[in-house]
Amino acid sequence: MEQPHRAPHGGEATERKPNVPVAPGMELVEIARLKQYPFLKDCSDIVLKKLQPQFAERRFEPGATILQLGGYSDAAYYIASGVVGVQLTTVGARREAKAAEAADAPRSMADRIQTVLNRKPADQAVVRPRAVADGTVILSDLPVDLRADEEVLLEAGEVFGEMSALSRYPISADVVARSEVQCLLIRTAGLRLMFKQKELAPFKKMIDDRYRARTLSNHLRNVSLFAELDERAITSLRDKAELLSFEPGKLIVEQGAIADAFYLVRGGFVKVAVKAGESNAAVTYLGKGDHAGEIGLLLDEPWPFSLFALEHVEIVKIPRADFQAVVTQYPDVQQLLWNATVERLKQRGMVAREPLTSRYLQMAMDTGLIHGESVLLIDLTTCTRCDDCVRGCAETHGGVPRFIREGNKFRTWSIPTSCYQCTDPVCMIGCPTGAITRPLGTLEVTINKDTCIGCSNCVRRCPWGNIIEVPFASPTLNRQIDLATKCDLCLGRPQGPACVQSCPHGSAVRISFKDLATVSRTLSQ
Amino acid sequence: MTWTAFRPKRTAWFRGFLIAGVVSMVIYLVAAWWAPWAPGRWGGLTFGTLAALLFVVDALYPFRRRWNGWPFGNIQRWLQFHIYGGGIAGIYVLIHVGFRLPNGLFGWWLFLLSFWVIVSGLAGVYLQKQIPAVLANNLSVEAIYERIPELTGRLQAEADKLLAGAPDLLQRFYSTNTRTSLASVAPAWGYLIDFRAERERQMAPFKEVVTYLSEADRLKLMDLQAIVSEKFELDVQYSLQRVLKVWVPLHAVPAIVLMGLLVVHVTAVLLF
Repeated sequence: MEQPHRAPHGGEATERKPNVPVAPGMELVEIARLKQYPFLKDCSDIVLKKLQPQFAERRFEPGATILQLGGYSDAAYYIASGVVGVQLTTVGARREAKAAEAADAPRSMADRIQTVLNRKPADQAVVRPRAVADGTVILSDLPVDLRADEEVLLEAGEVFGEMSALSRYPISADVVARSEVQCLLIRTAGLRLMFKQKELAPFKKMIDDRYRARTLSNHLRNVSLFAELDERAITSLRDKAELLSFEPGKLIVEQGAIADAFYLVRGGFVKVAVKAGESNAAVTYLGKGDHAGEIGLLLDEPWPFSLFALEHVEIVKIPRADFQAVVTQYPDVQQLLWNATVERLKQRGMVAREPLTSRYLQMAMDTGLIHGESVLLIDLTTCTRCDDCVRGCAETHGGVPRFIREGNKFRTWSIPTSCYQCTDPVCMIGCPTGAITRPLGTLEVTINKDTCIGCSNCVRRCPWGNIIEVPFASPTLNRQIDLATKCDLCLGRPQGPACVQSCPHGSAVRISFKDLATVSRTLSQ
Repeated sequence: MTWTAFRPKRTAWFRGFLIAGVVSMVIYLVAAWWAPWAPGRWGGLTFGTLAALLFVVDALYPFRRRWNGWPFGNIQRWLQFHIYGGGIAGIYVLIHVGFRLPNGLFGWWLFLLSFWVIVSGLAGVYLQKQIPAVLANNLSVEAIYERIPELTGRLQAEADKLLAGAPDLLQRFYSTNTRTSLASVAPAWGYLIDFRAERERQMAPFKEVVTYLSEADRLKLMDLQAIVSEKFELDVQYSLQRVLKVWVPLHAVPAIVLMGLLVVHVTAVLLF
């Protein structure tokens, strides 16, 4: 059996982190040239020098796809010249094409029905564009609204893709060059750096205003608390909201501080922790769309826990007075808040009663498992090391397994080198051929071996080293190349992932780290 | 090693096995009281046929992945059937021969092979429950069996690098006490019984030498100790995983031979 191997990372730990440059070898844009861009013209040379590595110029031929619906981007695009078209592709058509591609052999109708029934939607994985009553779709990361089968053109001076880059939302439409297009790419790290520069305050304001105008209402409405609020109340909250960014590890609020606002997580992960002696015990974590602060506001008490940014975090802060104005007007919201408060207090109590739960949470945060929508775990107390899981995987994937039964160990559980199917798959960013995709609304991030060119971009980007390279004899190049390969959850296999199904002892399980109760229950076994 | 490994994981299967065993015994006792019992009479033939069928289904276990767990619904249930079905088949063989020793060489071969396959199967159940628990609960290192020799080789290189330029005392300690043991995997069957004593024996020299070292060298010694400890755990992993691997042919090869003899036996019964 041909064994996959880990791609050489050159020993550079930083290379495996998200936000690596789009193309490491790309030439720097001259400072003088950068100053020709209107939003950078007033910038000092010192600031531009600092920002310079985060910019890149790209030229697109007419017809070239710049961003693809459902894909991810770690850069904002400023159109320097040319025209781009923004269009919506039917999601159903894409999904059908993907399923057809995955089907290795003709299957019975019963198998197909089973596949459809077994498919689980990834609740937080995708924020779909919001359709208004007349069928217009509001695209959160693009400065246009669209109807189906309609194309809207963007011209020089427009910026697109910044919301996807900052908050890691999937791209909401296809963006295609309609003429020869010259773009300035501003990488996510560059955007964050620009937001800190006083000289670039107008740029930040422009991005924030656009977020506030185009996306924030949608985000607020997606929070279950505010789902029933009328337009006026949402607009009021939207206008009062502050937009904050936090670096990894930064304290967002401290336990015991005055509860002065309601916090909504717009991007990134936040650790909720309570003081336990000298350390902070993890209670839970918050992801995109989650909120905190309701306990303090409802009970008029200080913060009962601290919030820490686990990575770059984008927060929407709604001041106490504005938040309470809404709460008093809407009794239903009040009830939901109480429910959320009780839930949070229960979580806090559980940490006190079961300290192990806090350890599981901390481990999940430390190892990045909190990003995982479907993580393969092996119970080593029952695993007989028979490798049936690996064989099952290999048999499903033409003889080459998509995971390595080796990886971190936590207590008596092994976390093999297998794709976590992250909520925000950073591996999808910057794939030059669009070979790595996640069909909208599904868990599986898949690589199309016919269009993968073996550039290793996704391998370098995966922060957990879970994408492996496999030698492939290319008939067109007439030589052997290494193609990226990863777990695809056995897409199209009616029985589900072969690793789990092949284990005779039930030692292999797949769990979502979004479901903390299941995580705790599973790991406590 | 403890006998708790024999505690059934799936009690429903165990209850089913007990009920099937007890009911079969009652039927045998009643039938044997009613009329003389012989393998060639209807009662003996019935149980012999059932035993043969169970052995055949049990022997199909290697096809579990190819058939996606069919006809048992999933592979875990197939394993349970493989275990308890094999146990019941053993009881049916005894009932088939009326709890008498076989006559003739062929009968002895059938009897002894059946006995071996069932006993080795039970040993497998014990080992497959006991060894993973021991490995998971007592060792911090987990490694793929085939990769252990390679990982061991790396440890020696790591230790050489660590000790390069170290004081003479530490160098001598390394070359006399440790270096050779890091050279290759050192499996031992005895680890199946106990490995704690050997761990303590290997770690004891570190406690002695530490008193003669400066603070900086002590840190180096601690790093070396960590390498030696990791190597020891790899040895234990290799030894115990080897038991799990060696056990399979000891059970499967006689089972294949048994299948062959069973075909001859059934053909002979049908023809003669």
